Amino acid sequence: MTADSEYKRRTVLKAGSAAVTATLVATPAATPAAAAQTESSSVDITLRVNGRDHRLAVEPRVTLLDALRERLDLTGTKKGCDRGECGACTVLVDGRRIKSCLTLAVMRQNAEITTIEGLARDDRLHPLQEAFIRRDAFQCGGCTPGQIMSGVACISEGHTRSADEIREWMSGNLCRCACYPNIVDAIQDAAK
Amino acid sequence: MTVGQPVERVDGRAKVTGDARYAADRTLPGMLYSYLVMGTIARGRVTSVDTAAARAVPGVVEVFTHENAPRLTSDQHFMPLQGTQIHYNGQIVAITVATTPEQAQEAAELVRVTYAPETPKAVIADALTEVYLPANQEVIVGDPTAGLAAAEVTVTQNYSSPPHHHNPIEPHATVAQWDGDHLTVHETSQGVVNAQRTFASAFAIPQTNVRVLAPYLGGGFGGKSPVWPHSLLNAAIARQLGRPAKMVLTRAQMYSIVSHRAEFRQQVTLGAKRDGTLTALVHLSTQQLSRTSENMYSHSISSRMLYACPNIHTRQQGVRLDVPTSRFMRSPQMASHFGLETALDELSYQLGIDPVELRRRNYTDVNPTTGERFSSRFLLDCYKLGADAFGWSRRNPKPGSTRDGHEFVGWGMATEAHDHNANPSSAMVRMAADGTVLSQTATQDIGTGTYTVFTQVVADALGVPLNQVKVELGDTNFPPAALSAGSGTIASVTGAVNAAALAVRTAVVQLAVSNPASPLHGLPAEQIITQHGYLFSPDRSRRESYRAVMARHGAPVQNTSSMTNARGYSTGAVFVEVRVDPRYGRVRVTRGVGAYDAGRVMNHKTAGSQVIGGFTWGIGNALMEHTVLDRRTARVVNPNLSTYLLAVNADVPDIQAIFVNKPDPVSTALGARGFGETPITGVPAAIGNAIFHATGRRIRDLPFTQDKLL
Repeated sequence: MTADSEYKRRTVLKAGSAAVTATLVATPAATPAAAAQTESSSVDITLRVNGRDHRLAVEPRVTLLDALRERLDLTGTKKGCDRGECGACTVLVDGRRIKSCLTLAVMRQNAEITTIEGLARDDRLHPLQEAFIRRDAFQCGGCTPGQIMSGVACISEGHTRSADEIREWMSGNLCRCACYPNIVDAIQDAAK
Repeated sequence: MTVGQPVERVDGRAKVTGDARYAADRTLPGMLYSYLVMGTIARGRVTSVDTAAARAVPGVVEVFTHENAPRLTSDQHFMPLQGTQIHYNGQIVAITVATTPEQAQEAAELVRVTYAPETPKAVIADALTEVYLPANQEVIVGDPTAGLAAAEVTVTQNYSSPPHHHNPIEPHATVAQWDGDHLTVHETSQGVVNAQRTFASAFAIPQTNVRVLAPYLGGGFGGKSPVWPHSLLNAAIARQLGRPAKMVLTRAQMYSIVSHRAEFRQQVTLGAKRDGTLTALVHLSTQQLSRTSENMYSHSISSRMLYACPNIHTRQQGVRLDVPTSRFMRSPQMASHFGLETALDELSYQLGIDPVELRRRNYTDVNPTTGERFSSRFLLDCYKLGADAFGWSRRNPKPGSTRDGHEFVGWGMATEAHDHNANPSSAMVRMAADGTVLSQTATQDIGTGTYTVFTQVVADALGVPLNQVKVELGDTNFPPAALSAGSGTIASVTGAVNAAALAVRTAVVQLAVSNPASPLHGLPAEQIITQHGYLFSPDRSRRESYRAVMARHGAPVQNTSSMTNARGYSTGAVFVEVRVDPRYGRVRVTRGVGAYDAGRVMNHKTAGSQVIGGFTWGIGNALMEHTVLDRRTARVVNPNLSTYLLAVNADVPDIQAIFVNKPDPVSTALGARGFGETPITGVPAAIGNAIFHATGRRIRDLPFTQDKLL
């Protein structure tokens, strides 16, 4: 996931939609002005998510996960445990997978953050998203965004030489419906 | 026909792109965040609550304690914050409300609660003298004493299993918004209609004033079937403060206020003839109850329904402890089933009869408790299909006979069985003037594939392509339908969906044959064939598309149908291979095959995933899952996912799912039965039986952790 140019292309393509801007206006706590009233010691930050810059005011204690979900309305990234144990909140930061509940939003400025919402290009799904559907690699979908982001990184790290290697490197993402063998199949498909 | 095909999930795109909105994903203008303060004693009283520091936190709007919380009652559960009494550790003792989640959490940590504590009882072993038999929990068939006297071989063993927590990846969440005396709730719910009823009752408003939405659910496993008190409290707070309120439980909070599988002890006695025929089956159990409820959920159904035995005695005892109330958790019959299926393996070794053959010899077409014939049962086929696929005939039964390097290899099996719910349900199907089809019903897709299966059912009934059909679920504005629990969704709702779609088909066919402008005009309606979005004459020489008929009609055609439905019993057989490393006592499950009779299989892809999921739960139950209570404080000491271990990817091998796939004649669901809870039930016993085969060690206490094998 080093192709910065891809995200820039996305930015251009999405510029007309203003979907994120609309969300910022619609969510009182998300606008810097409103947040300043309610968040006592908030700081103005800029997060670059899925190729777009988002200005927001948050307290330094706000996690990247809660900034994405509660402030930017990017709710595809899920909160499962808030302790780095389940992997549902996995996002890519500069191409590397991290658990967004274990990092603060203020620490992730000047970084390229990719969430599940930023994986497809317009109507074209990422090959791993397609493989998840084809292989039935999810049921309820609660862990799925984290599984897919983790799987994208698992592939780019090269940890896909065998099913056992994938199993090992995907064991930080829990799936309670328990679709593990199908997740392994999907990652193998997409890694080809 | 698409029913039966491995159709990809129609909600797949929404789930892999993050577009699917779950309850906690809702953010409403002006919304407040509620956060729970959990008590730290298990028994006693709250003597004071100091909220001054919490109230001083910027952004805090209100702090509720038992002194100022809204007054509420629940017809289902003990309602906290209504008084000072504490019944279990982790009971809600205060709620903070603030404009951001961080502020609410900080305030919660500053609430100071003092208690007058009493000594709690945490586990069954603490209260053995208080074991009792609640009403209607004993069943005796035939003469068990005489059956045991007539036995040539008997096995009597004790088995036990710990509390389990559901742990869906999505935490429980509730977002409440009032408009006058109308309430809208985005709720993590396995049953929006039940939830609507509970909210309406709590606030004494008409049911029609409450709208509950749960279009997506991030796993429930039974834990999201009821509306829990925290959701009612959050809605009451939203009403009192005049703003929408959102409450998302933390993982730790889910270990005390949204139920669990009860701690369970059981004694199984089997009497048999030398040929393996059972003469008596006596199943005595004790499960944990709470101070506020004596409902029990770990039922000995398997002992009463699975095997031919003329003399059966099941006795389900309880003991009240200072712990939260237990509830159903995926496959509640599994706890007792583990004892039965392990005891059968022990009997097979005493008799020297292969464990599959022993079960075959006790096969029955008739419910041994009621004498009624099962509507269909292909369990013998399951034994054969599963055993053949696994290669069971190559098994040397001698324990410890197979080694691979330093590991012992063992093969074990068990029958799988669970009954399923069926509740009256209704559904609407509407074909729009442009020929597209919408179906709505207030049941849920909790991950099991409901959206997909109903899309298939509607498409087949009408004879239109899948992409012409849209299914909407999880909204009380839709026709009322079943709770998604007890493996009941497909069995309960499919019939109504199919009937509504067939009624729309009939109406549209009538529109065509009765209109001179249609190429099908004048043909007998019952001879019209519908396929691929077209209506055909019987010889297929003439046709007209649904789209054209509807365009001419210029208005939608709609039907709402209702149906009552039949309960059922889905069975199967599971075979596992384990490898045991004697140096560490480590057990790995390396192979799994399950063969099932679930009636007709609606979708091989989603049904297959249910098997994988169930098998994986079985691995978790067998090898790692257990909630640990501190006996002095009756407090859960592992309320998180790093110490309450679930099976992870590396724990799960490839699993083969086989289906007999024969329709059940009494099913209203096109021959399908409920199934989701069956393919877990036998796995813990099968793994234990495989460990015995590998090592000669019989472990009767779940989970089979490494310490028990060293």
